[in-house]
Amino acid sequence: MIELSRVSKSYAKSGVKAVNDADVTVKNGEIFGFLGPNGAGKTTTIKLMTGVLKPDSGTVSIDGIDMAERALDAKRRFGYVTDNPELFARLKASEYLNFVADVYGVDTADRRERVERYASLFEIKDVLNASIGSYSHGMKQKLLVTASLVHDPDNWILDEPMVGLDPRSSFNLKELMRERAAAGKTVFFSTHVMEVAERLCDRLSIINKGAILFTGTLAELKTRGGSDSSLEKLFLELVDDKEEAKA
Amino acid sequence: MKVYFSLAALYIRSFYNLPGKRAPGAKLDGKKIGKLVGMTVLVLFLLANLGVMFVGLNLGLYESLASVGMQGMLLLNAVVMATVMTLIIGFLTSLSTYYLNDMELQLLAMPIKPRALFAAKFTAVYVSEAIFSLFFILSAMVIFGIKEQPHPLMYLWGTLAAFLVPIPALAACYFVQVPLLSVARFLKNRQTILLVGGVLGLAMGLGFNLYYQTMFSRLATDPAWIAQNMAGPESLVAQAGRAWPPAYLAWKAMSQPASAQAALSLLGMAAFCLSFLAAAVLVLSGAYAKSLVGFNEVRLRRLGARTGEYLDRNLRRGHAFGTLVLREVRMMNREPMYLLNGPFIIVLMPVIFGIMLAAQKDAFLSDPDMAGLLALLQSGGGAVIAGLAGAFLGSGTSITCTAVSRDAKALPYIKSLPIKAGRYFLAKLAHGLIFGVFGAVAGVGLLTWALGLGASDAAAGLAMALGLSALVNMAGLWLDTANPRLKWDNPMAALKQNPNSVIMILGTMGLIGGAGYLAFSQGLSSWQAAAWFGLVPGVAFAALLAAFPAYAERRLAAMEV
Repeated sequence: MIELSRVSKSYAKSGVKAVNDADVTVKNGEIFGFLGPNGAGKTTTIKLMTGVLKPDSGTVSIDGIDMAERALDAKRRFGYVTDNPELFARLKASEYLNFVADVYGVDTADRRERVERYASLFEIKDVLNASIGSYSHGMKQKLLVTASLVHDPDNWILDEPMVGLDPRSSFNLKELMRERAAAGKTVFFSTHVMEVAERLCDRLSIINKGAILFTGTLAELKTRGGSDSSLEKLFLELVDDKEEAKA
Repeated sequence: MKVYFSLAALYIRSFYNLPGKRAPGAKLDGKKIGKLVGMTVLVLFLLANLGVMFVGLNLGLYESLASVGMQGMLLLNAVVMATVMTLIIGFLTSLSTYYLNDMELQLLAMPIKPRALFAAKFTAVYVSEAIFSLFFILSAMVIFGIKEQPHPLMYLWGTLAAFLVPIPALAACYFVQVPLLSVARFLKNRQTILLVGGVLGLAMGLGFNLYYQTMFSRLATDPAWIAQNMAGPESLVAQAGRAWPPAYLAWKAMSQPASAQAALSLLGMAAFCLSFLAAAVLVLSGAYAKSLVGFNEVRLRRLGARTGEYLDRNLRRGHAFGTLVLREVRMMNREPMYLLNGPFIIVLMPVIFGIMLAAQKDAFLSDPDMAGLLALLQSGGGAVIAGLAGAFLGSGTSITCTAVSRDAKALPYIKSLPIKAGRYFLAKLAHGLIFGVFGAVAGVGLLTWALGLGASDAAAGLAMALGLSALVNMAGLWLDTANPRLKWDNPMAALKQNPNSVIMILGTMGLIGGAGYLAFSQGLSSWQAAAWFGLVPGVAFAALLAAFPAYAERRLAAMEV
């Protein structure tokens, strides 16, 4: 379970309030979508969730473990796919997977089995000897997904995971998300792609300019919007309404 | 032409990392002013260094030539050397900037004529060549001018010649590179090019060092040899000068500056040099543009049937701290520019020293002024010299003082992992210390061999080298943790354009110079020096180390990337 309670964050240098009083709770066994336009605060929220950034106020907890109090314990309980796959370009893919597995203390047999499974699923198994710098964007994304699951975490946090993936890998990733949720694990992901969120999410949040505008199921969003429109239309109406209200 | 000028300006800003135009109303803050002042001081320092080297070389050469009445050859030698140097440096610069990044492909997709593209690239490379050529010829002109009082027009002809000299040299570089890169697929990789360029540059730099050291040692012992073999009428340089029309014409103009023939010679030189530029632009532009295609292609070698075996062999559990240290080492040593400008110094500096020693040992030992120093070295000062050399090598890798900056892109991900901040930073320190020990051992070992020191002096020197280099590496990491460069597009910016590495290099020189001064002025014995400059820095290192993890944790939490 992932819980953000009244979390706010302003960047020290720019002073911009990137997240304002955000409340998000992702339950076990749930696929949770995090939607918002560019610059809305999605990645900042995820960075707060994963302990990359410290909130100015509010609390973040993973499986009930407070990130501020016991950061290392909290971090052991999730796998994270960042929005920037340009990591460790000089390492070989196998070296990178070993690095991540060593950090999480995964034994040889488990890491071998998990790497075999996910690298096969995403069709990168026979290029794990190559340097990450020689990978395409999509391949780097697949490697990040594989690495994020090497310790079989209970919580899976993915920032724009579909970007750069081919249709088959995108399908496999969605299946994997469903499989983990069905096993009682938590899946939290951000996306711009409304169709993906519409088909995949049990619940979702919409964020704009640092503020959470809506949290609930798609049906609840439709009821609130008073129409049976697509998520894309409801999303645009919600974001535009708030902007007009502010103007 | 407008496109050409825009492109040339873009390339020049990009090559030389020049700041863009300031926005109207934007003010310079204290940090920017400090940076500007620091950079200006650094450039002046560099120019002064080169000036001392070139002026010293030309002065010695002038005196050697004047002793046999051939001082006029000095100017020919300068033009030929400028031609050769711009050919060598131009080859390396044009190769390393042949394909900058994927921006080049975007330019190909725009309605830009290949001629404008190639000419703009040529111009950007030419700028540094022209400055170098001017510097080389100017230093010879100044020596010649002071000694011989020629007509002032010599300076005008010499300056114009300096600007013309690099053009055919650079054109020749492209006449080799464009066809080569059009056919050689393995070279169409920016990393390969940087590596090849780096190795060639090192080889050429060492070659120049050998030439320079040989000249200097001969200047002291055998000026007649210099006159005959290095710059005399029958020397290779003079023969090359007479055979290469621009060099001969430039020499003619500078030798008879007030005559009408001087202007005609310069006109002839300009026509000759510019014809190379025209030929390069006309003949090579299309091929150059075509050769840029395919630079960003990568080929993956698939494991195929060997996949299972590979995974069995390579996916094994390791120690968490060891894996952090290994990541640091691999990330630095596999980036060619990081390796060449960082840990490789441990190899490079002893090679340079070896060349100096080989070229100058006889002159050094036979110089009566050196007798006192030699006696001092043999009476215990050798341990200090060896210790300081080892400390310099062990501190000069720029590993720790750029460690956080180099990792800027990975910081958000690292911070999401369950790694203690202290452990993450200590892995960086361990990386620096490993190479610090290599450097200390290499430096002390080399000096022990060169000065014929005994085991006791070598051990005292090693204690100094280890203590001082450990302290410098710790201080470097502290500095880069306090003030890392976290925003950059080019990895080089994290190392070569990082003020922390400059601060640490200058600081190390100050520390080592100060330690040497104290050791010699106080007449410390080798073991006293080891105690003061090995044990004391060791204790300071331990104190800083004890306080570091808590500080590093606070700093890492505050880094918002």
